[in-house]
Amino acid sequence: MPGPGISRRAARAPLRRWAGSAGVSFVPMAWNPRYAAAGPPSTGPVSGPLPWPTRADMPYNYTTDLAAVRAIVQRYAVQAGLPENRAIDLVLAVSEVAANTVRHAKSPGSLKIWYDANEIVCQIHDEGIIHDPLAGRRRPPVDAMGGHGLWIVHQVCDEVEMVSDETGTTIRLHMKLPGHR
Amino acid sequence: MTHIPPESGLWYNKCVDLLTVTVAARESAGEPYTLVEIAGEADVTNTEELRRLLDSEVSEEPRMLIIDLSGLRFMDSSALHALLRVNRSLDRHGGVLALVSPQPAVAKILRLTTADRLIPVFDTVADAAAG
Repeated sequence: MPGPGISRRAARAPLRRWAGSAGVSFVPMAWNPRYAAAGPPSTGPVSGPLPWPTRADMPYNYTTDLAAVRAIVQRYAVQAGLPENRAIDLVLAVSEVAANTVRHAKSPGSLKIWYDANEIVCQIHDEGIIHDPLAGRRRPPVDAMGGHGLWIVHQVCDEVEMVSDETGTTIRLHMKLPGHR
Repeated sequence: MTHIPPESGLWYNKCVDLLTVTVAARESAGEPYTLVEIAGEADVTNTEELRRLLDSEVSEEPRMLIIDLSGLRFMDSSALHALLRVNRSLDRHGGVLALVSPQPAVAKILRLTTADRLIPVFDTVADAAAG
C-alpha cells in the first residue's frame, strides 16, 4: 500500500484534514490553491492526503443513475473488507450525497473510491454549491420534509470532509476498516 | 368514508424504473385496509412517482394503510419523506400508517431519523393488520 503523500497527484491538490471536533471539518478555502498561501490553520493537518485512485474505472461519472453508484460503492466496500453493516452505511451516505447532485447541481457528478489497510474513502464532486458551513451538522426534526440527507451522511460516516466554493462541492466520506491503526 | 373497490385483490402493478409498487385492498377481521408493497430501490430519481402513487392511495382516505417494505433493498431520505408525508396525511383524517418488514438498509434509515418511532413497524403484514 502506498503511504500518505506518495502520489504526485495527491500532493498537487490535497484535501487537507484539520483536527476538528468529531473529526469533521469544513474547510471551504483549503481546497483552492489560490488560498493556500495563507497557510494552514494553527492546528495543522492531522494526517497527509491519501493517494488518488489509479483504477481505470475512476472517476465514475453519474447523472441520475444512482443505483449504479450504489452498486459500485457496495462492490468496493466488499473488496476493501468493510463489514456488511458499515457497507450499508457507506452506500447510504454516498447515495445521499449523489442525490444532492441530482437535486441541486446542473451537471453530472463524479465519484472516486479508494482504500488502504486503514480506511475506504469515497469522494463525490459536483458543481453544486453548499453555502451553509454547518450543512448536515444539525439534526432536522423527524417529520421535516427535507434536510435529512447530509445529516444522515454525518451520522453514519467515521469522518466527513466538505469543501465548497464557486467551482463546486467536493465531499469525502471516510470509513475505517476492521483492524485499522 | 373508506372506498373499497368491488373486487378485492390486485389493483395495479406499476414499475417505476427500479421501483415496483403494488397496491391491493385487503381485509382483516372485517376491517378493510390497503396494502402497498414497495419493492426495488427508492431514491430521489423515483420519489416523485412514488409520491404520486402513494398520494392517490391516501386520497381514498383508508382507515389503515400498510406498506410492505420486505422487497425494498434501498431507501434514501427523499423516499423516507414520501412515507412521512403519507403518515401526516393519514393522521389528518384519522387513518393509520404501518410499515412492515424493512430490510437492514431501510431499517437503518428509519432508525437513524427516528421515523420508526413516528410510524409503527411490524414484522409481518398480519401483525400490522391486527394492530
